[in-house]
Amino acid sequence: MGFSVSGSAAIVFVGIFLAFSTAYTASANGFERVNDARSAVDDEALERQNTALAVTNVTYDAGTDTLTVEAVNEGTTTLEIGAVDLLVDNAYRDNFTALTVAGDDSTALWLPGERLRVDVNATSRPTRVKLVSGPGVADVEVI
Amino acid sequence: MASVSASHLILFIASLVIAVGVAGTFTQGISRLSQGIDDQSLEVSEEVRTDIEVISDAGSPVHNNSTNTVTLLVKNTGTADIPADSRFIEILVDGRYRTNVTITVVDGERWRPNNVIRLEIGGADLSPGDHRVKLIVNGDEEVFRFRT
Repeated sequence: MGFSVSGSAAIVFVGIFLAFSTAYTASANGFERVNDARSAVDDEALERQNTALAVTNVTYDAGTDTLTVEAVNEGTTTLEIGAVDLLVDNAYRDNFTALTVAGDDSTALWLPGERLRVDVNATSRPTRVKLVSGPGVADVEVI
Repeated sequence: MASVSASHLILFIASLVIAVGVAGTFTQGISRLSQGIDDQSLEVSEEVRTDIEVISDAGSPVHNNSTNTVTLLVKNTGTADIPADSRFIEILVDGRYRTNVTITVVDGERWRPNNVIRLEIGGADLSPGDHRVKLIVNGDEEVFRFRT
């Protein structure tokens, strides 16, 4: 009888050990995954809080059918040019004829304090222009 | 004496079989639970990472009277890719669930972080006045108010 009890106890013990090691791995991975996500969201929220932009000047040149939008990064975060969206009278525009940051057309970054200039074709004089940054912070200018 | 040994052997084998059964059931149960935790954590992390923002200018017309269409531009401001498919986006216009929706990614192939989609909600016969559109994506809710 001694062997039966010891043998059964050993099998049950090994089973419990395996089960808990599986459960621990799954729980640890799960918590880590969720914590990573929360951390990424916190970073995004901080970036959003530190982002500010202002559309300073919008001009329409009827002669060349060009709309020029100028905006200043008034926050403390570096914004990505590729993530900036321009809405002209609610129409999404990404076919810019010129895009410069502080006179430089080769950069992909819009640093704090710098002026962004975007030129797009517009066949008529628009009434509202909205510039949206990567984190979602936006500014509207009524022409 | 031989009968005693034989019965001991039978009891020994029986106890081992029962122990294996108990341990197996237990391990299987915990394994299912672990799988559940794994799936759930994946879902929760997706929900946490999802964030959208309606970037349409509420001051400009978003409703087209002639085609009865509401057009919204929605930016992915989170850190996860979202499928640009109406099955993953719940849309309510003035509290009414809408299924007649066309989705187009306007600045890329997929709705990745920083990309924008165009939502065209058809069959939106709205009377002049204030209206609201509610979007729900992966548990993230966004309300857009406008006037027609």
